[in-house]
Amino acid sequence: MASDVDLAPLVGRADHLATLRSALLDGVGPGQTAAVFVTGESGVGKTRLLREAGDRFRAGGALVLTGTCLDIGDSSPLHPLLQALRRFDAELTASHARTSSAVRGLLQMFAAETAGPDGAGALLERVSRGLHLVAQGRPLVLVLDDLQWVDRSTRQLLLYLLAGLGDLQLSVLAAVRAESLQGAHPLRRVLTELRRLRSVRVVDLAPLDRAGTEQLAAAVLGGPLGAEAAESLWQRSGGNPFVVEELARDLREGRDGLSETLREVFLARVDALPQAAHAVVHAVAAGVEPVAHWLLAEVTRLPEGELIEAVRAAVAHRLLVGDDDGYRLRHRLVAEVLAHELLPAERSALHRRYAEALTTAPAELHQARLAHHWRLAGEPARALPAAVAAAQEAERLHGYAEAHRHWSVALQLAGPPAAGVAPAGGGLTADRAELLRHAAEAAHHCGEHARALSLLEELADAEDAPPACALHIRRARYLAAAGRSAPAEAEYRRALAAADCTSRERATAAAHLAELLLHLGRYADAGDRAREALELAAQVEGSVSEVVLASMALGFSEAYLEDPDAGLAVMREALDTAERAGRPEDVACAYLHLAELLTGPLNILEEGVVVARRGAERVAELGLGRTYETRLLAIATNGLFRVGQWAEAEKVVAAALRHRPSGADAVELLLARCRLWVGYGDIAAADRDLEAVATVLAGGGARHVIPLLTLRAGLAMWQGRHDLARQAVQRGLTEVRSDDVGILAALVWHGLRAEAEAHAARASVDTTAVRRLREVAERVARKSEHAARPVRDVVDGFLALCEAEVSRLDGSDPQLWARSVTEWDRRHHPYPAAYSRLRQAEALLARRSRTATAGKLLREAYQVAQGLGAEPLSTEIRTLATRARVTLEERGASAEGRPVTGAEPSGDELTMLTAREREVLAAVAEGLTNKEIGQRLFISERTIGVHVSHIFDKLQVRTRVQASAIFLRNRPD
Amino acid sequence: MGMGEPVWGPVHQDIVGLLADHPADVPAVVDHLTKLQDLLVRLPPLERSCPLADFNELYLTITTSVLNGLYDDRFADPVFLARLDVEFAARYFDALRYWTESSPATPRAWACLFRRMRGPDARPLPSAAAGVNAHINFDLPFALVTTFDSLESEPVDGTDQHRDYLEINQIFAERIPELRRGYLDNWQLMIDMLNGDIDDWYQGELVEYTRNVAWRNAQKIWRCRHDPEARECERVRLDDNAAALGRLLLSPLGAFLQ
Repeated sequence: MASDVDLAPLVGRADHLATLRSALLDGVGPGQTAAVFVTGESGVGKTRLLREAGDRFRAGGALVLTGTCLDIGDSSPLHPLLQALRRFDAELTASHARTSSAVRGLLQMFAAETAGPDGAGALLERVSRGLHLVAQGRPLVLVLDDLQWVDRSTRQLLLYLLAGLGDLQLSVLAAVRAESLQGAHPLRRVLTELRRLRSVRVVDLAPLDRAGTEQLAAAVLGGPLGAEAAESLWQRSGGNPFVVEELARDLREGRDGLSETLREVFLARVDALPQAAHAVVHAVAAGVEPVAHWLLAEVTRLPEGELIEAVRAAVAHRLLVGDDDGYRLRHRLVAEVLAHELLPAERSALHRRYAEALTTAPAELHQARLAHHWRLAGEPARALPAAVAAAQEAERLHGYAEAHRHWSVALQLAGPPAAGVAPAGGGLTADRAELLRHAAEAAHHCGEHARALSLLEELADAEDAPPACALHIRRARYLAAAGRSAPAEAEYRRALAAADCTSRERATAAAHLAELLLHLGRYADAGDRAREALELAAQVEGSVSEVVLASMALGFSEAYLEDPDAGLAVMREALDTAERAGRPEDVACAYLHLAELLTGPLNILEEGVVVARRGAERVAELGLGRTYETRLLAIATNGLFRVGQWAEAEKVVAAALRHRPSGADAVELLLARCRLWVGYGDIAAADRDLEAVATVLAGGGARHVIPLLTLRAGLAMWQGRHDLARQAVQRGLTEVRSDDVGILAALVWHGLRAEAEAHAARASVDTTAVRRLREVAERVARKSEHAARPVRDVVDGFLALCEAEVSRLDGSDPQLWARSVTEWDRRHHPYPAAYSRLRQAEALLARRSRTATAGKLLREAYQVAQGLGAEPLSTEIRTLATRARVTLEERGASAEGRPVTGAEPSGDELTMLTAREREVLAAVAEGLTNKEIGQRLFISERTIGVHVSHIFDKLQVRTRVQASAIFLRNRPD
Repeated sequence: MGMGEPVWGPVHQDIVGLLADHPADVPAVVDHLTKLQDLLVRLPPLERSCPLADFNELYLTITTSVLNGLYDDRFADPVFLARLDVEFAARYFDALRYWTESSPATPRAWACLFRRMRGPDARPLPSAAAGVNAHINFDLPFALVTTFDSLESEPVDGTDQHRDYLEINQIFAERIPELRRGYLDNWQLMIDMLNGDIDDWYQGELVEYTRNVAWRNAQKIWRCRHDPEARECERVRLDDNAAALGRLLLSPLGAFLQ
């Protein structure tokens, strides 16, 4: 096969290549990820740089997968990845049998994928597992060109893998055309978010400077340029390497004078082509690149010998390039030049030949390409079935955005609703309602809410429209998804009033309406609707989902209306109903709602944790591990954190993350784990999780931003970076809805604490920030006055902390801290209670009053902090105790308030250790390495390192042998 | 590139350094604009009367009001408004960055103002007006589309987001008397001209109308955002319109505003 003609050397990019190598290969440790996005104008050499870098990575021992995104817009989900895998498979030789079977396994997995609940997330997980097998321990580099045309699924996959959720050592090198980022491209926002991360770089590829321009031209010409030619070349090319190279070639071939524009260069070359080569470039221009050799032969109908000669001529004129997988135009400019050269009839004839050739030979993107070519061949009736098949294919791979576009094309092809006249396809009217239904549903799934609603309007007007009630329910669903609660509520009410409404539909509408009202905070209304739904559902066999949903709404509304027992009873009954009926999703939902009710508004944490964990086991049995088990374990983790069982929480979160969740589930768990790291003072681990969360959130998800910023502030404070904490809180204050009083109160406390800590460290206090924070705190207090009791409970604890922190700016008030202690003790949250005790003691000691009380408070706080493993808090307590000459350890006292399992030693010298540290020490004494211990305890090697260093500190030893000796000496036998 | 003198004269390095940073939230945007203002007024030959400084000062005033509004619970959906504000500002900073690099990618709507920086016939009012024109008529629709896209939401009339968006008009209105007392004597008149489409610039509408045009344009781009060709077409159209209006504002005709 003819490949590209003589390649000019790569000029002026040595630094970039070195940067890429260190950022993507040398600087990436095991299990880490990194990405570089190269932006630049067309012709600046992005593709070339990617190819050179890829070759070097390969030579450096990496496994490189190379794909290109397509601009046909309605291509297939994950296309660049599939293409990369196929290319890679084609390159593999017999000696790579294992890799080859891994690649084929992954490709088969795509072929066998079927649509289902959480399909998209499960697919991400399977892709990462597959890539794991393909990589076989080698560093994996994914090289993606033309990322401006990336499909949504690939975008999500990249963020998922870069966040480390796939547990894969991966680097991404991608090129983006700078022009595309100027308008409203979705990548623009993603890159803005990603460029802030340490592991990501955005490299702007500038045109060559004058010296580089001349160097490149000289290389093409085989000798130096004259001064006049050099100046002219510089003026015309602006240093764009593609232009420099093409103009220089013209010079070399002795065309009279330099062409004014690149367009002229290519026009002249097209004109100079022999007849058959002309046909070849036009055929490639009408095709979807790369155009395979056999396909080109079919379309041009040239005999083999002539075809090869024609291709050679087109390559020699630098209009075409050939590769193993087919032919492409050399540059977009060539396509633009060619676009005006053909008559419309000639072009549609080419498309027809493509379509005919493809009909008999399934290939990549088969249906999408068929639909594309038949449509442009002016054959809507033949394009329509292909468009429908392409849409179904996209839905199979959970690519609803692509599916929606295929359905929309299908609708266009089917033509407007016929008024007595049969449309082009004939007999298509019957399918129109069906097409509208699918198009609307796909639009709804990919977040095109307005489009989904307008398609539904068309459906309502269609000849065989669904009955009114079904339409109202559907419209309500779409409206609710778009966040438009008021019209959604009205639609549910219309559904309930519709004459053609079945009992089942009525139960469904009432249950969903109850849920909607609950979210709107109208608890009494929600309760009434939920009761109505339960009555309706009781009359209809098998409406268990409705029972579960309505019970949830009723349970929560009762809890908010301060009748917790009634609500709890309803929810428990719903769980029994679901278990009896046996549909796995209903059982899972019931467990989820019950656990949320207990750990949320009811604040019955221990029981909530037990329910969540039991539910997690149960749903795993039912085969819903990835989705519901993960969510239930997230609830358990957060509950365990709050009741102060951190070691247990750490285990649970590790177990949940083994499912490699994606999206909001992943964010929830990473935030939960990060909360633990911040408490432990494991800065590196906390940082890593915060980066991972930010990576996932770059793809959307504003809901989690405030918890992320709150954690960032908390972490910055332990590092003494009040400025960073202040920035995080300021950002949070400008991006939070004022009715989210709970998370707002936590954020304000962090802000005031940052100012108080700054004051204590004799750093400058931002008085404007203090004023604003106090205003927000007052607003929160005002708003929560009228809120339900459970909401008020959460807020009151934080407001107590806020008020006390403010007093630290002006002589800390022990009374205020005592109030905060009471608040948090009442809610059984030991961590903030211990923090408040520390501050109360500090305030008492500063006033030199009641030092005995202060000592007692410090000892209580210390015992809790030690039990939790809250290292930074313990350190602060120790520092204050030393200064105040308070003894923290009572002789012979052992740490209480945390579970100490039977086998664990509890000898005197080990009392300073947390439960977790003792587990680690026991393993150290067995002679295990950090890695082995990590595997045994389901935590990272690095975290084990942190535990070990804490153990050394506390035991005042410097080697593992010394630590083991102390452990063995104190082991109870 | 290719030119002897740096684009920003003696403050070039400072401006390059400032633009290397991409502010991520509204407080950071205000901080950025403040620092930029300090640099622009040191730019010879016009220094305090630098035309870009006139626009920047106005923009800083409005953005500070938006920030205070966010702190004071003025908006129903602060997530949306904060994101929009950041995305909106990013486009101004991008334009400055392109200009700094002498890039042909500098939107023409902005280029006509930037070119005036060296004087000599800069007049504050038309300059600030030309900046507002480029920012509202060209940048704003795209900023809206990007914001909605990243929030997985849509530009729909009558929503919280639309109401918040309109609330910014109120901020303009509140600030206008102040600005009138300042250097912008004919502020109202200038605003009357800013209605997006060159054809009906004489119709005498308010900034409200201009911002409404931006919202409609955003809805238009929203519908074709998956189609790279149509999107690019829309971008060129808006750039052309805004550039034409900008040139008009900065032409001798604009002098009657002074």
